[in-house]
Amino acid sequence: MKVLLVEDNERVTRFVTKGLQEAGHTADHADNGRDGLFLAASERYDVIIMDRMLPGNIDGLSLISALRQSGNQTPILILSALADVDERIKGLRAGGDDYLTKPFAFGELLARLDALGRRTRQDGTVTTLEVADLRMDLLSRKVARGTRQILLQPREFKLLEYLMRHAGQVVTRTMLLENVWDYHFDPQTNVVDVHISKLRQKIEPEPEHSLLRTVRNAGYMLSAE
Amino acid sequence: MPFFIRSSATTLAASYVLLGILALILFALPLSYAWRAAVDDSRLQILTEDSQRMGEVFNRRGAAGLVSFINERVGLQIAGERILLLTDSQDKALAGNLPAWPVGVPERTGNYTAPIDLDGHSTMVQLVRTQFPGGYNLLVGRDVGKLSPVTTRFWYGLAGAVAVLLVAGVVGGILIRRALLSRIHSIRQTVSAIMQGELSHRLPTGSSSDELNTLSLTINRMLEQIELLVHGIANVSNAIAHDLRTPLTELRSRLEELSLTRPPPAEAFAEVDAAVADVDRVISIFNALLRLAEIDTGMRRSGFVDVDLVELCARAVEFYVPAAEIRDIDLTFKDESGSLHASGDQLLLAQAVNNLIDNALKYTPPGGKVTVSTMRPNTETAGIVVADTGPGMTATQRERATERFFRGDASRGTPGVGLGLSLVEAVARLQGGSLDFAEQQPGLRATINFPGAR
Repeated sequence: MKVLLVEDNERVTRFVTKGLQEAGHTADHADNGRDGLFLAASERYDVIIMDRMLPGNIDGLSLISALRQSGNQTPILILSALADVDERIKGLRAGGDDYLTKPFAFGELLARLDALGRRTRQDGTVTTLEVADLRMDLLSRKVARGTRQILLQPREFKLLEYLMRHAGQVVTRTMLLENVWDYHFDPQTNVVDVHISKLRQKIEPEPEHSLLRTVRNAGYMLSAE
Repeated sequence: MPFFIRSSATTLAASYVLLGILALILFALPLSYAWRAAVDDSRLQILTEDSQRMGEVFNRRGAAGLVSFINERVGLQIAGERILLLTDSQDKALAGNLPAWPVGVPERTGNYTAPIDLDGHSTMVQLVRTQFPGGYNLLVGRDVGKLSPVTTRFWYGLAGAVAVLLVAGVVGGILIRRALLSRIHSIRQTVSAIMQGELSHRLPTGSSSDELNTLSLTINRMLEQIELLVHGIANVSNAIAHDLRTPLTELRSRLEELSLTRPPPAEAFAEVDAAVADVDRVISIFNALLRLAEIDTGMRRSGFVDVDLVELCARAVEFYVPAAEIRDIDLTFKDESGSLHASGDQLLLAQAVNNLIDNALKYTPPGGKVTVSTMRPNTETAGIVVADTGPGMTATQRERATERFFRGDASRGTPGVGLGLSLVEAVARLQGGSLDFAEQQPGLRATINFPGAR
């Protein structure tokens, strides 16, 4: 993926750029709004990481508004120290696609970038999802592993659907909380892990053919491998 | 004295007195007019009757008889202030109390109110002029310019009433002003004390429901809120100092030790991971404190929407059921309200309910029960109840449970920083409600009361 990072803090920039390169992505960088707008408008990126408070006249939100008004639909992840719920809503209203507050774990950032970058390529009209021999029919709401039908409760279905839509990507606990339960807060305890292990018992009767892996320090990944 | 004049009580009293006097005069004017008209009418009637009676005397006894009749009346002073004059065809005065026909009397017979010349003064009189056969002219009249004693008394009475009103107004104004000033003075003293930092002072209030008292009560409530907030800030600063310092100390020593000992990479990375975990703990405390501050400012109230509390609780329970099953706790949801809606912040309410359930699960031993219910105990309050079969809390713990960073003895060894219930309480307060704890056998019953729920 080709990523544009608009961020004025040098250490954060170094940390993110290095992490992205190690994960196999290329990253361009702008340390002020003017350069950021120029790069975003002149090059094609898969995803943009945008700080909100930038030096110069253009702050992150007006930059996003400007891009959206000019018809640029590149997914944007807002990375900001402004953590209030209202600030988050403001960011998403301005045209941001996701909002991550500082300080952040790099694993969280990478997982969210993957999800955003992949979204542009995904067709919205899929009716079945498939990972190895695990099949999900979104219309009849049926799930099967090979020939065996699996009965899931509505929330388990939603959880599995999210994991399957992001198959091959790391999905963090926070992403699951936000997208499956619509909880935008940290419930402190490991409730998500419990939901995952319950789901795992249902979709993986034989643990040796595991599809749902735990990724250390990050989250979970559903994949054929 | 200038202060007296500028006092709003004085201005008020003075305007009321002026208004009263004006009203009195406006009331007296039509009254006096109607009364005078009635007097004029009856006087005219008397004068007409008089001249008729004299006409009868003339008819029966002739001019000489009338002259003696008039002279008798004037002599007996029955005439009083009346004007009586009989003249012959040459306008020569025959009898009466006027020396000659006065100037200014109209030529025709009839009754008039007109100024005529009496003793060299122009005087307003009411007259009845009659003519008898033979050119005799009779004038019966009365001076109306001169006020009768009754009229005089009327005006004296009015002046007296105005005087009484003035005196009462001034005295009343002084008394009201004195009472008002003493109350305002005490308010001013209290406020000065508060401004100097003595936040525990309150305005004096009485049992009456007058404006000043209502204002004082409102100000007192505001002071309570301010005191609470100021203490809250002081508590938080202390708590931050203590609770952030601990993980920061650990982090610092970990990093310093790492830098000093320079262990082999495997060990070093384990230490770095532990350091990251320390930082995460600091961040989570920080986030919780910021969220609390955000709630306490009350700013989120602007984003209130209609929240279905039954659905919210059902979802929270569904979220925690797998975690409860693992610990062999029976977590159930019971809706006893039928339907419960409140205007509120969806996100904060969800977090509050989740915190309560999380808390209950943490303290309930395996095999226990946690029950979440939405209820409507009466029409005015409604609430969310989370009841567990854990060890409960002592009275002191119940009191301190919502203090920031307070953790009961039972919570030693469990994860958490002691901000969960503070958040629940703050959310309940933002909703205009409260968080209450009650003992049950066994366990604890936590209730979020919503006064505004429907």
